[in-house]
Amino acid sequence: MARVPIEEGYFRIPDDPDAPPVLLGSKCPNCGEVFFPRRMVCAKCLHEGTEDVDLSTRGKLWTWTYCEIPLFGKKDTDVPGYGVGQVDLPEGPRIQAILLGGPDDFEIGMELELDLETLNTNRDGDDVVIYRFRPVDGGT
Amino acid sequence: MRRGLKFEGVAVAGIGMVRFGMLREYPIMHMARDAGLLALHDAGMTLADVDEAMVGYITPGSMIGVKAMKELGLTGLPVTHIENASATGLVAFREAAWAVASGRADVAMALCFDKFTEMGGTGGRGGGRDVIDAPILPASYFALWAQRRMHDRGTTVETYAKIAAKSWNYGAVSPMSHRRPDHVVTPEEVLASRMVARPLTSMMCCPADDGAACVILAREDLVRERQPGRRVVKPLASALQSESYARGHTFVGPVVGPSTMTRDTALECYEAASLGPDDVDVAFIHDAFVNEELEYYELLGFAAPGGGDKLVAEGATGPGGRIPFNTDGGLLARGHPGGPTGLAIVHECVQQLRGDATGRQVEGARVALAHLVGGGSVCTVNLLGVTD
Repeated sequence: MARVPIEEGYFRIPDDPDAPPVLLGSKCPNCGEVFFPRRMVCAKCLHEGTEDVDLSTRGKLWTWTYCEIPLFGKKDTDVPGYGVGQVDLPEGPRIQAILLGGPDDFEIGMELELDLETLNTNRDGDDVVIYRFRPVDGGT
Repeated sequence: MRRGLKFEGVAVAGIGMVRFGMLREYPIMHMARDAGLLALHDAGMTLADVDEAMVGYITPGSMIGVKAMKELGLTGLPVTHIENASATGLVAFREAAWAVASGRADVAMALCFDKFTEMGGTGGRGGGRDVIDAPILPASYFALWAQRRMHDRGTTVETYAKIAAKSWNYGAVSPMSHRRPDHVVTPEEVLASRMVARPLTSMMCCPADDGAACVILAREDLVRERQPGRRVVKPLASALQSESYARGHTFVGPVVGPSTMTRDTALECYEAASLGPDDVDVAFIHDAFVNEELEYYELLGFAAPGGGDKLVAEGATGPGGRIPFNTDGGLLARGHPGGPTGLAIVHECVQQLRGDATGRQVEGARVALAHLVGGGSVCTVNLLGVTD
């Protein structure tokens, strides 16, 4: 069964099921600022034309919360809640994403690594996935 | 050169609103009509007096503003649609004020309505919208901000709970508030309510409402002529900004936006009005989630960075305090239908400045500040005042 992204253009799914996804970013050739997601005009210096770059798969947790509402607004309750965080990548971008783990698993400043959350199965039988972060050491 | 708007010779002619709530049986066009008629009656006018209308909403589709205006009459007046998420109402107010200040209209109406109870689901898993920023709910975004503040400033959940209790208790004495508790709400009760996204409990989050509100602005001399003996409230200045880029900006999802946006928009508005935070007697802000209020104390200049917690401890932003905030209960208690929220704020500003805010009146209030953010991407700050 194949894995497909919830929306094209944001991340690449590796063939190796154990490898982290890769976030697709842009780097300004003029000022060097790096962005996620990709963009054509530099948001810092307004230079037109950026270079595609792959972003790091690890970052540090800037802030987090644990949303005690079933995942993604689902009305059923087999998922009690989910973590949400903002993660600073070494290149500069701050990524807002779902976190894997329970309400006691997160701490500001901790290192996290990207992986994939399966959201649902589409009509073709493929798994629809989105990127998420999980603590590098431990977590569930 | 971008600068705030300074309004001269413009006054509020009339205000009207439908009390917000989950009004499933109340058709949206009837809510819009009723808010409009209340404002026209307050102004002593009919639609024949109105030269232009700015109509705002978030949810219904194209051209619904014109449809709503037809409920009030068909006079051929120009109707412009305005949408800026939660800031829609204040932006409609700003544009109506500018229509009069610019001289192109003698009388301009700002009319807003929305029905959050008819909005779609929250998206994501299992048949929702398959887009990258759908899965995370709004409460989470603001909770992220609250958690970081607790880390940086040592803010406690008790401080957040005190602010929320203040808003609920203002709601109890505000006739237009959706939430009107029948008992004094304590910080303990707020903390004991259901956890939504830590540290935010359900009583720290606004309701998703239905409602409508209307404000009519007119040339000051017309208002004085038609309303002799009534204190005249005037829009003084307005600023509107969108996001500025800085490192750490998050682009994916309806984020809370950079906090600098409120600070910079307020500075622009203060400068246009030649006023500062010390001149403001009562303030209204976007408190969809309670931690926002604490941040805006500082970003609007009522406390130094990190000084907001002390304002709460001193009770400075509640009844009898130096600078009462959200005397109608704010988004938290008065409610938050989206588009009309900004006009409900103007409604309360006008009541405070006219001296009509029974049970919650800020004694001698002469200048009111009205702030909203929208979709994490825009901010507007407006000053209203009485000058005689």
